[in-house]
Amino acid sequence: MEADVHNKSEALENDSLAPVDRLRRLRADSPTPGLVEGTEPGAGQDSAMFVHAQSFEDLTADGEQEEEVQEGGDGSERAPEVEKPRSEGEESEETQGQRGEQEREQAEEEEEEEVQSGGGRVKEEDVNSEAWRSHRKHVFVLSEAGKPIYSRYGTEEALSSTMGVMMALVSFVEAGKNIIRSIHAEGYKVVFLRKSPLVLVGVSRTRQSERELTRELLYIYYQIISLLTLTQLNHVFQIKQNYDLRRLLAGTEHLTDNLLRLLDRDPGLLLSAVTCLPLAGSLRDVISSSLQAAKAKSLVFSILLAGSRLVTLVRKKDQYLHHMDLHLLFNLVGSSSTFREGEGWTPVCLPKFNTAGFFHAHISYLEPASDLCLILVSTDLEDFFNLSDCKRRFLERLRRRSAYQALQEALQAPSYPVSQVGIPELRHFVYKSKSSGLYTSPEIPMPYQSEEEQERLMGLYKYLHSRMHHPTRPLRSIYRCAEKENLLALVTSGFELYLCFSPLGTKALAVSAINKLLKWIRKEEDRLFILSPQTY
Amino acid sequence: MLMISPRMAAGMQDKQYTPSLLNFFIYNPKFGPREGEEEKKILFYHPSEVEKNEKIRNVGLCEAIVQFTRTFCPSKPAKSLHTQKNRQFFFEPEENFWIVMVVRNPMVEKPNKEGKPPTVEYQEEEILDTVYGAVLQQCYSMYKLFNGTFGRAMEAGGVELLIQKLEKFFYRYLQTLHLHSCDLLDVFGGISFFPLDKMTYLKIQSFVNRVEESLRLIKYTAFLYNDQLIWSGLEQEDMRILYKYLTTSLFPRHSEPELAGRDSPLRPEVAGNLLHYGRFLTGPSNLKDPEAKFRFPRIFVNTGDGYEELHLIVYKAMSAAVCFMISASVELSREFCEQLDSLVGPQLTLLASDICEQYNINRRISGPDKEPQFKFIYFNHMNLAEKSTIHMRKTASVSLTSVHPDLMKILGDINCDFARVDEDEEIIVKAMTDYWVVGKKSDQRELYVILNQKNANLIEVNEEVKRLCATQFNNIFFLD
Repeated sequence: MEADVHNKSEALENDSLAPVDRLRRLRADSPTPGLVEGTEPGAGQDSAMFVHAQSFEDLTADGEQEEEVQEGGDGSERAPEVEKPRSEGEESEETQGQRGEQEREQAEEEEEEEVQSGGGRVKEEDVNSEAWRSHRKHVFVLSEAGKPIYSRYGTEEALSSTMGVMMALVSFVEAGKNIIRSIHAEGYKVVFLRKSPLVLVGVSRTRQSERELTRELLYIYYQIISLLTLTQLNHVFQIKQNYDLRRLLAGTEHLTDNLLRLLDRDPGLLLSAVTCLPLAGSLRDVISSSLQAAKAKSLVFSILLAGSRLVTLVRKKDQYLHHMDLHLLFNLVGSSSTFREGEGWTPVCLPKFNTAGFFHAHISYLEPASDLCLILVSTDLEDFFNLSDCKRRFLERLRRRSAYQALQEALQAPSYPVSQVGIPELRHFVYKSKSSGLYTSPEIPMPYQSEEEQERLMGLYKYLHSRMHHPTRPLRSIYRCAEKENLLALVTSGFELYLCFSPLGTKALAVSAINKLLKWIRKEEDRLFILSPQTY
Repeated sequence: MLMISPRMAAGMQDKQYTPSLLNFFIYNPKFGPREGEEEKKILFYHPSEVEKNEKIRNVGLCEAIVQFTRTFCPSKPAKSLHTQKNRQFFFEPEENFWIVMVVRNPMVEKPNKEGKPPTVEYQEEEILDTVYGAVLQQCYSMYKLFNGTFGRAMEAGGVELLIQKLEKFFYRYLQTLHLHSCDLLDVFGGISFFPLDKMTYLKIQSFVNRVEESLRLIKYTAFLYNDQLIWSGLEQEDMRILYKYLTTSLFPRHSEPELAGRDSPLRPEVAGNLLHYGRFLTGPSNLKDPEAKFRFPRIFVNTGDGYEELHLIVYKAMSAAVCFMISASVELSREFCEQLDSLVGPQLTLLASDICEQYNINRRISGPDKEPQFKFIYFNHMNLAEKSTIHMRKTASVSLTSVHPDLMKILGDINCDFARVDEDEEIIVKAMTDYWVVGKKSDQRELYVILNQKNANLIEVNEEVKRLCATQFNNIFFLD
C-alpha cells in the first residue's frame, strides 16, 4: 500500500502538468490576437534566462525531476562534490571556517536587525497569549521525530509540544494510508506540507488559498535546502533520527523570516517571475556584455542586482537558473548587510538546479553604500580570487565605457509611477511576460503605501492569482468590483496581467485599459525588460 | 470500501467515482473520558459494521484535530479536515455533541497492464467545504425537526434513548443523502416562493384566517403551491427545514396520483369524493376506511425559549398543499379530521384552480417563454427566498442541473469569495469554456448568472445582467 501512495504522487504530478498544457492550448486563441507566447511585450528576443515555469508548476513538479534533466544535459557542469555534514568533521577546514564565519556574521547581523527594527524577531512571546495567536501567518518547521526546527513567532522550546502534536497528526493520518493536507476553521487555516525529512506547517489568517500557502511552505523548505543541501539533510537524519537541526541552522533564522516577509509583499514570488531595474536598453546591453566578458572557467551565473530587482543576468550556455533559486539568492543578499563590508564567499545550494551539491557564490556590492550587488556563482570551491578578479574586470569595463555613472543615475529613479501609463483610475498593475519570466509593476501608489495596505494589495493579487490558476477550474479572466477597489485579471498564453483600479473605474474603462496598457508596455519593453539575455 | 455509481469516462475506460459518504458519526467526548472507555463516547456510527477499534481511532482523530486548532483559536475550532483521500466535516450543534461526516474525494481509477492493480487518482479540489458543511448542518436540523434537540432526548431517557433516536433517524436519513448532487443551493437552503398577484395572495391569506378561525386547535399554517411557498406562520428557520422536508421527501413520495389519469387506481379516494380533490398527505390516506389511523408525524419548532412539539398535518388539493400544525398535547380524532376535510377540501380545490388560472394569465402577459441566453440563481438572506433556473428539478434522489458541474463549482467559489467579506461585491469571470459567470452581492441578496455568450465582452455581459435584473426581479418575489 506504501507503493500505492507513491504511485499516486507521480500520477498527481502528471495530472498537474496536463491542465497547464490544456490551458496553454486554450489560451492560444485569446481575445488579444497576436500575443501568443514568445511575442508578448517583454518576451526575450533570443532564449529565455530562466527555466520555463508556468505558475504553480513549482508546487507539484519535484526538484529531483528537473535536476535529472539538467544533469543529463551537461554532466560536467554539476555542482561540486556533495559536502558531508559538519558533525562528521569530514568537511574541508577552509569551507568550515568560512561557513562558520558567515554564520557568526549572520548572527551578529541578526542582533543588529533586532535592535534596528525592534519588531524584527520577537522570540520571547508567550505562546498562550492572544497576541501570539492573532499573528497573520505562523510557520513551523519540524523534523519527522517531531523536533522543532523553526517557528516564525515564539521560541521553538515553548512550542515543542505543539509541534509534537502536529507530527502526531501527520503520522496518524499516514497510518491510515492517507495524507493530511489542511485543517479549515472560521477565519484561519492550517496547512501541512510533508517534505521528508521535514514537515512544514503554516497557520494563516489571510484569504490565501490552501494551494498558495502550500507553495509558500515549499519556498521555506527550499530555503533550508539552500543552506544544507538535501543530501546533507537526509544524511543527518539518517544517522540520528531525533537530531536537533537547529544546531546546523543556527544563525540563519533571519533568512527564513525575511523570506516570509518577501512572500507577503513581493509579487515576483507569487508570479514565479523576476522584475528588472528600468534601464535604457543600450545601457543594459553594455552592462550585460561587460559582465559577459568578465568570465571565468568555473563561473556559471553572473547576476547584477539593484535591491530586489535584476539589472542583468549572464549564464553559462545551456545552464538555466530557476526563478525560485534566484529568489533564494535575492533573499540571501537582502537579509544580511555583511556583504556590504567586503567580498563575501559563501557556499549555496540552488535546490531547483541540484539539491545534492553546493555552488560557491562570490557576493559583493559595487560600492558599500550602493544598492548594486554582484553575485558570481561558481562550481569551484577554490575560485574566490578568480571571481574577485572577474568583479574587478567587470567594474573596469563599466567605467571605461562610462556605463557606471549612467547606471548610478538610473538607480536614482528606480521605478515609475503608474500615471506614466496614462490610464485614468488605474492605481497599480502587475504584468508578467510568460516566456521571459519577467514582470513589471509601477511604484506602490498612495492608498497602499503603508505596510498593512501593501500586504492587502498583495493579498488581492494572490486571491486573483489563485482563482485564475485553479488546478481544475482555471479562468481566462476575472473582474471584481468592491468598495475599496476594482480588480481585473487576465491570463493568456503569452502573459498574465493584474490591474487595480479605483472604485470609480468602470468596466468599460477596464476593458479599454488592457489594450492601452499592453501598447504602453510594448513601447517601453526595451527599458522594462531584458530583451537580449547573454551567455558566456 | 463504499464505491457508488461508477460511470465510464471517455478515453481509456477510466472509471470515475463521484464523492460518496464514507463515515458519519456522532460522539460526545465527555461520555467516556477514561482510557478503555472510548467506545462510550460514540453515540452513532455509520456504517455500523465498522470494527470497534477503527471507530475509536476515527473519533480520536477528530477530537485531536479539534483540540489542536484550539491552540490557535480557542473559540473557533476546526470545521473541516482535508486529506488526500477524503474530507471530514465537524459540527458541534450542542455543547460537546459532535457530528462528523467523512466524504470521499471523487476519484478516477485508471486500469493498468495485466496483473497490476489500477492506479487511483483522487481529485482533491472538487469538493466545496461550504456545500458539505451546509449538508452536515442540514442533517442535524432535520433530526431536530422530528426529534427535538439531543439534550431533550438525554433529559427524557438518558444516553440510551438518545442512541435509539439517532439510530432510528439517521439509519433512514443517510440513505437519502445524495452527496454527488449537492451544490450551491444546499449552502443557501432557501425557500422557493410562488410568484403571485396581490388579489390571489389576499384570497389565500383570508382562506388561512378562516380555517384558523373555525378550527381553533390549529396553531400554525403554511400554504404551498407547486412545491413553492406562499404563506407561512412559522419562524423562518423552522419553515426552512420544514420546506426542505416537504419538497425533497414528502411531496415527491406523493406526486404520482396527480400525474396519474382520473380513472387510475392510484387515486382511490377521489372516486369516493366528487365534491373536491382534497386529501391527507400525512395521517389517514382514506377517511372512509374504518381501520384508518389518525396519527400524524410530530415535529419540533422554535418558540423562543424552548421547543414546541406539534402534529404535522399536510393536506393537499391539486397543486395546493397546506400544512396545519396542532399542539402535540391534543389527541387528534376522526371527527376532527373529517371536519377539516369537509371544510378545507372544497375551498382549497377552488383556490387551487384560481391560482392556476391566475398564474397562466400572468404568464401569457409576460410573453411566451423564449429559451434565454442565461441561467441564474438568486438568494435573499433576509427572507430565504431562492430562485433557480439552473435546477430543473430537485427531489430527494436527484438534483438535475442544466449546466456543467465545473460551472456550478465556479458559482460555489464566487459564493465563498462573497462570504469572506461583509460588503457589496460583484465578480465577473470568464471560464476556460468561454462561459461567463457573474456573481452579485448587494445588501442581503446574492445573484449568480451564467451566460452562454462566448463572444461577448465584459461590457456586453454587464448589460445583459442589467437587463435580466430589470425584467426578472421586478415582481417575481412578491414577499420580497
